[in-house]
Amino acid sequence: MSGAVLALFPDWSGPVVHYILEVGLPTTLRISAFAVLGATVIGILLGTLLTIEFWASKTAIRGYIEVFRGLPILVTVFLVYFGLPALSPELEFGPVPATILALILWGSAQVAEATRGAVGSIPREQHEAAAALGFGWVGRHVYVIVPQALRRLLPPLVSLLVNIIQNSTLAAVIGGIDLLQSAKAQTERLTFFPPAGIGEIHAVEIFGFVMLLFFVISFPLTRLAAYLERRLA
Amino acid sequence: MLAVYDLWAFVAENWRELLDGLVNTLKVSLIAIAGSAVIGIVLGAARAYRVPVVSQLAAVYVEVIRNTPILVQIFMIFFALPQLGIRLDAFTVAWLAVMIWGGAFNTENFRAGFEAVPYRYREAGYALGFGGVATFLNVTLPIGGRIALPSSINTYISVVKNTSLMYVIGYPELTTTAINIANLTLETLEALTVLALVYLTLVWGLSAAIRLLERKLAIPEMR
Repeated sequence: MSGAVLALFPDWSGPVVHYILEVGLPTTLRISAFAVLGATVIGILLGTLLTIEFWASKTAIRGYIEVFRGLPILVTVFLVYFGLPALSPELEFGPVPATILALILWGSAQVAEATRGAVGSIPREQHEAAAALGFGWVGRHVYVIVPQALRRLLPPLVSLLVNIIQNSTLAAVIGGIDLLQSAKAQTERLTFFPPAGIGEIHAVEIFGFVMLLFFVISFPLTRLAAYLERRLA
Repeated sequence: MLAVYDLWAFVAENWRELLDGLVNTLKVSLIAIAGSAVIGIVLGAARAYRVPVVSQLAAVYVEVIRNTPILVQIFMIFFALPQLGIRLDAFTVAWLAVMIWGGAFNTENFRAGFEAVPYRYREAGYALGFGGVATFLNVTLPIGGRIALPSSINTYISVVKNTSLMYVIGYPELTTTAINIANLTLETLEALTVLALVYLTLVWGLSAAIRLLERKLAIPEMR
């Protein structure tokens, strides 16, 4: 019995798991937290502004939404990471901030589209009642309309969280040490000869562990999103 | 470095490589779309009709793929499978990875589509003397398939976009090609502009074509 457990956790696995959980996981969580926060705030703002019938603002916000929803997120990451510094040296970001920024651009476009629908679904009487109470456009939306729309926004926001957590792995492509990159680094280290490594390949176990971690984080959230969706319907 | 932004010179200089990259993107996308359509219809039907064992296995497949990042799946296929003696070249990994990913989402799309076909339609099929398979092919698939069309097409658009991730395995599709050219010529902004414009043209064009197709294929009584 104890032999079977030992075989399940060989000597090399300890340092690998520690590195992935202590270096990779916090980076993934940090990217996800900042990206979700930024995407939600900017997305709700843009989506609410999109309900104003004014051609200039509508065209600009529509363009923003269509561009960042249309581009593969990796291309947006490259635009931020390689493109901005080429425009101006001051716009140079490290891999982690660049990924956060790219995910905010993509995520806010998603949220803006969902917000437009949610805000548009609030009946006109609510606008009229709020206006009758003396609220201007801003007060009407901040205190009356958007809070009601948030209920409808909850399922897409949970889905956004799942998507952002998964897409935070794009940081690995440009060298950010997230879950995926930390796993890749450890896999490569183990292939070296001692003392650095053990001269063995354990990619299946290590990437399998990363898959398991993502699954454990994502699965409850996708269930939650589905549950919220059903409860709303 | 002479930092003069000249898009036309860049395109004139590099259009051959970029075109090759685009062709590879389309090739991988088409194979993956066709494959994920087949996976989606077969496993979606297995899920909708609760075919024992197959349905449960399909559910596990769908949940694993939907709840793990596609980039990790690509790493698993490209960097981890060789440990088990399975060595695939970059092209195979490219279409296989996005096909597996798209197939999982499509299984859900088609399951929902088939489940939305009212039972009385199938009863009508049986009453006409059709067997189970014939009823599926003549009644459930044409109706449920159309119900699933919008969501499945969104999956295909995502499949096209996800082929850009093949940059990590060095497969020379559009993104890899454009970034390689940028590294070589230092014309980063031009390369990124072309890259973004081509993807937007592809994605927007596809969405527009789809809206036309949807109207054409809409079920008459639901129009």
